[in-house]
Amino acid sequence: MTAYFIRRFLLIVPTFLGITILIFVITRFVPGGPIERIIAQAQQQALEGGGTAVSETVQRQPLSDDQIDLLKKYYGFDKPVLVSYVTWLGKLVRGDLGISTRYYDPVWEMIRERIPISLYFGLLTLIATYGVCIPLGIAKAIRHKSAFDDASSVLVFVGYAIPGWVAGILMILVFSSHWELFPLGELVGENFETMSLWEKALDLAWHSMLPLMAYLIGAFSFMTFLMKNTLMDNLAADYVRTAMAKGLTFRRAVFGHALRNSLIPIATTFGNNISVILSGSFLVEKVFNIDGMGLLGYESVVERDYPVVMGVLAISSMLFLVGNILSDMCVAAVDPRVKFE
Amino acid sequence: MTDGYPILAVNHLVAAFDTEAGRVRAVNDVSFSLEAGTILGLVGESGCGKSVTALSIMRLLPRPTGIIESGSIRLNDTDLVKLAPDQMQRIRGRRIGMIFQEPMTALNPVHRIGRQLVEVFALHRPDVDAGQRVQEAVALLSHVGIPEARARMDEYPHQISGGMRQRVMIAMALAGKPDVLIADEPTTALDVTIQAQILELILDLQKETGMAVLFITHALGVIAQICQDVAVMYAGQIVESAPVTALFKDPRHPYTQGLLTSMPRLSSENKSTLPIIQGTVPSLSQLPPGCLGPLFFTGTLGVPIGDGSEKRKAASCGKPKDGFSHPRRCAAKKGGAGACGGRCFANCGTR
Repeated sequence: MTAYFIRRFLLIVPTFLGITILIFVITRFVPGGPIERIIAQAQQQALEGGGTAVSETVQRQPLSDDQIDLLKKYYGFDKPVLVSYVTWLGKLVRGDLGISTRYYDPVWEMIRERIPISLYFGLLTLIATYGVCIPLGIAKAIRHKSAFDDASSVLVFVGYAIPGWVAGILMILVFSSHWELFPLGELVGENFETMSLWEKALDLAWHSMLPLMAYLIGAFSFMTFLMKNTLMDNLAADYVRTAMAKGLTFRRAVFGHALRNSLIPIATTFGNNISVILSGSFLVEKVFNIDGMGLLGYESVVERDYPVVMGVLAISSMLFLVGNILSDMCVAAVDPRVKFE
Repeated sequence: MTDGYPILAVNHLVAAFDTEAGRVRAVNDVSFSLEAGTILGLVGESGCGKSVTALSIMRLLPRPTGIIESGSIRLNDTDLVKLAPDQMQRIRGRRIGMIFQEPMTALNPVHRIGRQLVEVFALHRPDVDAGQRVQEAVALLSHVGIPEARARMDEYPHQISGGMRQRVMIAMALAGKPDVLIADEPTTALDVTIQAQILELILDLQKETGMAVLFITHALGVIAQICQDVAVMYAGQIVESAPVTALFKDPRHPYTQGLLTSMPRLSSENKSTLPIIQGTVPSLSQLPPGCLGPLFFTGTLGVPIGDGSEKRKAASCGKPKDGFSHPRRCAAKKGGAGACGGRCFANCGTR
């Protein structure tokens, strides 16, 4: 099995190479880019500076061909596609993600600044999802068709029907704007720097509450029902009856026998969740004005900040690849029947 | 343990399932008794209520749909129907062991065989320390005919064959040294050679331990091979029960006759059509109340063909002939005609 996983890790190399080609091709050939953005900015400036009698200059392209060539050279668009791809890939492998065309900051620095924020929410969401969904799923399976089961199903389905960011807006409206129980957004309060450690922790928790709920609400229903349904399948399985026939209590039959079998499908989703940890949800981040990876990726796409787009995509696809292998490892750990050769 | 006294007595057991179409009685007024040190065969076709009877005895009917409506199940002097769940737990595995039909799914796929077996010792023999439990488990595995028992302990169920798994199941059922073993079609899922081995094993173990066995099967051949007594079930009721030799020599109920006629025999003519019981078992939710007799006698249900059809004519409802006056021999042998609750076919005309 070790050999299998070594092979899987080696296979990341060609897969990742394919992904980089895709990323590069997409960012290079879709219309719009840093040059177009600069042209638009120049138009904007001309419009503001020239007042009313500038329609002619605005219609025309404000930058000369020389200027554009200079820009192309600056951004590396003057070289053939293959050459610039290889250059980019060479830098990527060395950990150099290039420079943002918008902020002129190194992309890696920008991403690194946001990793702790995304990681914080990602880990909290992961822990909360598993921490809530698994026990809730178990309770629902055991008390199938009870009032508790029905009521929680309604709640979970409503949560499923509402996207996380919509729920976020609703929560801001109700809890922050109307009742003023929670802050409107941001990760920490204004005078965070001056607080004591305890106050900092409290402040962070207070600010994290609503975004965390918004993150949870989507992941919630899927995991809860996955847990409930697989556990119910397993409770009806012959081996649980065998366990009961041996004289085990229902409780011990559930926790000692059925539960581990029910965790197998949950384990398959684990790796994907790992990769979601870092990427987060840009919509939720946007709603709560949290400066994480998701928001960075989203804004860089809107602003055609391609080095950042490419950097974020490269990192998240890498995480996804590793996450998939982690999923398989989890499955192999839980299910002895799984043998990877 | 002396033979002859009823160790397990089921009286007027009614087990039902709540379905969307209403309540269905899968076991309808079933009475039989299992005598200590004997093997009672419970035979019938799929869906006739054999397994539901067994699960009722274990109080393992699927919750919450399956319920025991009425009747009693007495293990010695204890009525299992009235026991609290925690008391019932101490009966399961300790006083009554059970083997299931499907060895492929009856063992937990993610636990090692040793762990599943040692669990029974831990439950019912708490005085024995952990090392001793493992030793006993290994000894028991070799006893049920598993080679290299020590190595098997560390294997998972998917790593051993179906026959071996059934042996593990038997070892698990016997680990608590039960007085009664319920074997619910233990050989159905196995091939013929392994079937014979497993039957022999059960028979040997029964002789050795003196436990009573309720052997559920749909194979009359198996019944003839190992049982002392037999009860034939049809549509949730026991239609005939008798000592095994008497039943095979002189089947009295038309259904039993049909079953026996349908068995291929070495003496039957080559390539002739095998007699069959025609029709299918009626849906339990559409069963008429009371006696099933009229169904047989008027031919709405299983009608034995061949020589059975002549007997059917002779036994048309309301004119019971000799052999059919009381086809349902009562489980309570000395109880006489009255003990069967007046549901006999003799009464079908006047029901």
